[in-house]
Amino acid sequence: MGFRTYLIRRIVYALIVLFVILTFNFAVFRLMPGDAEKMIIDPRFSPEARMALRKQFGLDDPPLVQYWKYITSLLRFDLGQSFATRRPVASELAERLPNTIVLFLTAFTLTMIIGTAVGVYAAQHRGTFAETFVTGAGLFTYAVPTFFFQLLLLMLFGYYIRIFPIHGTMSAPPPDGAFLRFLDRVHHLILPAGSNVIIGFGSWALYTRNTMLEALGQDYIITARAKGLPRRDILYHHALRSVLPPIVTLIFLSLPGLVTGAVITETIFSWHGVGRYLMDAVLQQDYPAAQGAFYLIALAVIISNFMADLVYGLVDPRIRVGAGERR
Amino acid sequence: MALLEVKDLKMYYQTLRGQVKAVDSVSFEIEKGKALGIAGESGCGKSSMAITVLRLLPGNGHILGGEVRMDGLDLLSMSEEAFRKAIRWSRISMIFQGAMNALNPVHRVGNQIVEAILTHEDVSRQEAVDRARRLLDMVGISPRRFNDYPHEFSGGMKQRAVIAMALACNPDLVIADEPTTALDVMVQAQVLRAIQDLREKLALSMMLITHDLSVIAQTCDDVAIMYAGRIVEYGTATEVYKKPLHPYSMGLVSAFPNIAADKSPVRSVPGFPPNLVSPPEGCRFHPRCPLADDRCKTEEPASIEVGGNHHSVACHKVDVTAGGIDIWV
Amino acid sequence: MSGETVAAQAAVQSAPRRKRSGIADFWAQYRRRPYGLVGLVMLALYIAVALAAPLLTPYDPRKTEFFLADRLAAPIWARFVIPRFRNAPPTSRYTIHPDQWKVERQERASLSFEEAGDRGETAVIRFEPSSEGGGGARSELSWRVHYGFNPPNTFEGKVTYRVEAPPDAMTQLSLAIVDPEGKEYDIWGTAVYGEQDWTTAGLDSRDLQMKTRLNMTIFDDPAKVIFATKGDYRLVLKASSESPSAEARLFLAPAKFNILGILHGLLGADHMGSDLWAQLVYGARISLIIGISAAVIGVALGTTIGIISGFLGGPVDEFLMRVADVFLSVPTLPVLIILSAFLGKNMWNIVLLVAAFSWMGSSRVVRSQTLSLKERAFVEAAKAAGASDAYIMVVHILPNVLPLVVANMVLMMPVAILYEASLSFLGLGDPRIPTWGRMLQNARAFGAFTELAWWWLVPPGLAITLLSLSFTFIGNTVNEVLNPRYRERS
Ligand SMILES: Nc1ncnc2c1ncn2[C@@H]1O[C@H](COP(=O)(O)OP(=O)(O)OP(=O)(O)O)[C@@H](O)[C@H]1O
Ligand SMILES: [Mg+2]
Repeated sequence: MGFRTYLIRRIVYALIVLFVILTFNFAVFRLMPGDAEKMIIDPRFSPEARMALRKQFGLDDPPLVQYWKYITSLLRFDLGQSFATRRPVASELAERLPNTIVLFLTAFTLTMIIGTAVGVYAAQHRGTFAETFVTGAGLFTYAVPTFFFQLLLLMLFGYYIRIFPIHGTMSAPPPDGAFLRFLDRVHHLILPAGSNVIIGFGSWALYTRNTMLEALGQDYIITARAKGLPRRDILYHHALRSVLPPIVTLIFLSLPGLVTGAVITETIFSWHGVGRYLMDAVLQQDYPAAQGAFYLIALAVIISNFMADLVYGLVDPRIRVGAGERR
Repeated sequence: MALLEVKDLKMYYQTLRGQVKAVDSVSFEIEKGKALGIAGESGCGKSSMAITVLRLLPGNGHILGGEVRMDGLDLLSMSEEAFRKAIRWSRISMIFQGAMNALNPVHRVGNQIVEAILTHEDVSRQEAVDRARRLLDMVGISPRRFNDYPHEFSGGMKQRAVIAMALACNPDLVIADEPTTALDVMVQAQVLRAIQDLREKLALSMMLITHDLSVIAQTCDDVAIMYAGRIVEYGTATEVYKKPLHPYSMGLVSAFPNIAADKSPVRSVPGFPPNLVSPPEGCRFHPRCPLADDRCKTEEPASIEVGGNHHSVACHKVDVTAGGIDIWV
Repeated sequence: MSGETVAAQAAVQSAPRRKRSGIADFWAQYRRRPYGLVGLVMLALYIAVALAAPLLTPYDPRKTEFFLADRLAAPIWARFVIPRFRNAPPTSRYTIHPDQWKVERQERASLSFEEAGDRGETAVIRFEPSSEGGGGARSELSWRVHYGFNPPNTFEGKVTYRVEAPPDAMTQLSLAIVDPEGKEYDIWGTAVYGEQDWTTAGLDSRDLQMKTRLNMTIFDDPAKVIFATKGDYRLVLKASSESPSAEARLFLAPAKFNILGILHGLLGADHMGSDLWAQLVYGARISLIIGISAAVIGVALGTTIGIISGFLGGPVDEFLMRVADVFLSVPTLPVLIILSAFLGKNMWNIVLLVAAFSWMGSSRVVRSQTLSLKERAFVEAAKAAGASDAYIMVVHILPNVLPLVVANMVLMMPVAILYEASLSFLGLGDPRIPTWGRMLQNARAFGAFTELAWWWLVPPGLAITLLSLSFTFIGNTVNEVLNPRYRERS
């Protein structure tokens, strides 16, 4: 199977998932018990406004027509109007999306770099403290609920030793000057991003170490040693390079988890992002807003899954230059 | 002076169940241009011996004594760095048992050969690439496949590529650990022919490890029969085949009425190989030996030379076996 | 008998035999692994706590037991650890029985006791009718209490009384606290015209009414001012009556007086003054129930799907595995958030939702195991002997995938527990049951942070962590013992 076929399969697959999620979104908000109108149109509107909206949302159409309209409007990013603010959900989300991206790109990059580096180090230094550390950190990731750890950090550094701000994306009012404003943002970023890094890097490091050790036990590594290659070349050029495909894939596969974790992290640190928007919308029963935020998150997840497949295909010559499929 | 001289070499693996005496006082020599075949059952320590010579032991393997000399140079006392630069691949190269997996799947085949050349020789990359292409050509792979990845090669091609790689730095000695086991019969023949041709063309010295006695018969000058970490019989191939002296070798050889016949697997000698953590007292072969008596159970036989020509055997019953009767009937 | 039937029977018998000898074997191997044992001991501890919850705490957090102590009360042991709590008060609750009132003064009034049906003994103050210009009758009772701590934040009380008097009578009742220096604080009072049936009046130092009566602003704290020193305090009940025509009688049932503690119990109190230790202990029940039932349902679902998919193969397999893929690529937590918001905040909704989104892993593992079992002789034999697909799946495949299923189930439990905790933490949990997630949510929402009440935050978080850890240890050990082939995977 060539890379082209592989790619096409993955695209088709991503589209199927997207379709399922869109349908879910449609079904949940319309077919659930209760009055569909109540879910979509703010009951506090005047009867005339309600009538207009009924028409706009096509609530009087048969379900299939509604479904079609719904799909086409979502694809145009027309997500309706928020009950709470009366503003288009799409523009509210557009406002918050950059914040979420900044937070999670930072956390993600640091987790990846630190995790991989620590894992490679531990694989080289077997039986030392590094190994114990990595195992412990991995267990930490696995067992400690992220929100608990974040609450602890928040209490410790936000309330006890007050060195970090306790909520928000930036100070209000923001300080003058671009540089100070930048520092202010970084200051707000440290706790939410840092907690994700500390929680996350352990499982990374453990995974990297395990795959590295597995690779180091492969025949081609012994061959490389027999060839008299210097240690460094063996480690990086042979071992690390050969575990790169699974690691890179995992990097992208971990993205959905991060996007999902956004809800909790943003809630705890009152981060002005998409995750908290979803949470607020759900709790305030602001259905169009909830629906829009969910759609955006699901889209991000689908895209990162697709990228994982794509990158895997690019890094592994067995897929890039033909031969079998993944797994 | 022999090219490679191994004397009383001992290498044990440390495990939770105790020491695995994988190589226990092993001695042999390989002369320049000659090939030594090593045969024995699975698990008797053949591969362990090979990787001990190249000092590629896993973390739990320890050399506990003996010497390995190359042209008189003591290989065991060299520093790791010096050994890596001066001996590995440039003087001794190896074709591994799992050669199918000896190529790194994420690098191009040609580059893996070039890499070996550039590590040991001060040549330009272009020269190294040219040489790698020539080597591939020599083992019967079109140089145009230089840029292929290992998964694009067939099993036999991979194996031949590994052989080409082993020759990359003009080594004095090539250790081949079961170079053909993973291949099907047709390909085995091809690969063996390639090895033989090269050996003749390049006057290579070689240590060939195999299950398959007929391979040794075709390719080797000398043969060593290993049993449970020891060499029980050692001599020229013709002599050992014609007149095996150790009951174990007799068992192996009697499977080949005609040495040149097509290959068949090592005939299985009844019984099981011993546990190398606590091998049997006395002669290690005694539990399976039809000739064993009380002496064999208590006293370890020393290796004695029989009838000149360096043919030596470690057995108390040489007088019986030398009689030429078939003890395995 | 044909050879095939014999083989089929042998196959039928082989599965149960393997299993029976397996249990002793399994334990023999399991007990040699320290992590597995640590996990078991921890889990046993949790189960013990969950079962013995009513013995471990007198409170039941499923009932609304508010103001057992002051809001955000610290644990009792904080007295020894945190300087600002060194001499803080625990909760003191007093019931003042009628005969405990001491008569301070009586003018034209008399005190007696009488049995009043279900109210038990009551004190009766009889006021003589007021004579022309002679003024009313009055009675002053007092009750002494020692207070030896730093000032409390809150006190509260209840007075239960009844008046029997002619319509033209006016009876007045008031309460005052007299501090050790003799300063008097008038905290409560009422006037009754004519008759009044049993009435309970609550008084609370947080009420604006009392603050106004004491000439304080809403920001002042009567409790802090009144109980500012240590020593003997007196609660003084003053009653008077003007009853021109006939005798008036005031009945007093037992009264209550509570000083809410700033220290309370093993873990303090939450924002409603409810006991946190009780919430923690009962939380173990909920977490175990949720974790175990969600994992059992999810893995049972996964096993069924895995066996069917692997055994039947073909389009059924293709379809089921695509479904699993879709479920795997859906953002689980947001979906759970939306669905649980829609379906209502109910514990069993959460269990079912978590189960519905956690069967994919086990279905994959079981499927691949089924694929290899399918080729084995005993399955072939059973097929040849004419067994139905369903029979083979239940009798031959299921027992052989059980080891995998068990390990998967144990490893699923912490995941389910974490999902429930996350949902509760986000405010989507069942509001009627105490869970660790909700404790954390409350801690965050109701001031644990500003008060640095780490004893509210750490125990539930740690409880979740250690419970997941123990399940992880057990699951990994079970996996190592039962499925050595899969050991390297995890
Ligand atoms: N890393 C190791 N640790 C412990 N024991 C080992 C290790 N490697 C090999 N052994 C043991 O040492 C003995 C010799 O192994 P070796 O691989 O040298 O056998 P072999 O003769 O090459 O067998 P085969 O013909 O199957 O390749 C065996 O009993 C094996 O179990
Ligand atoms: Mg070997």
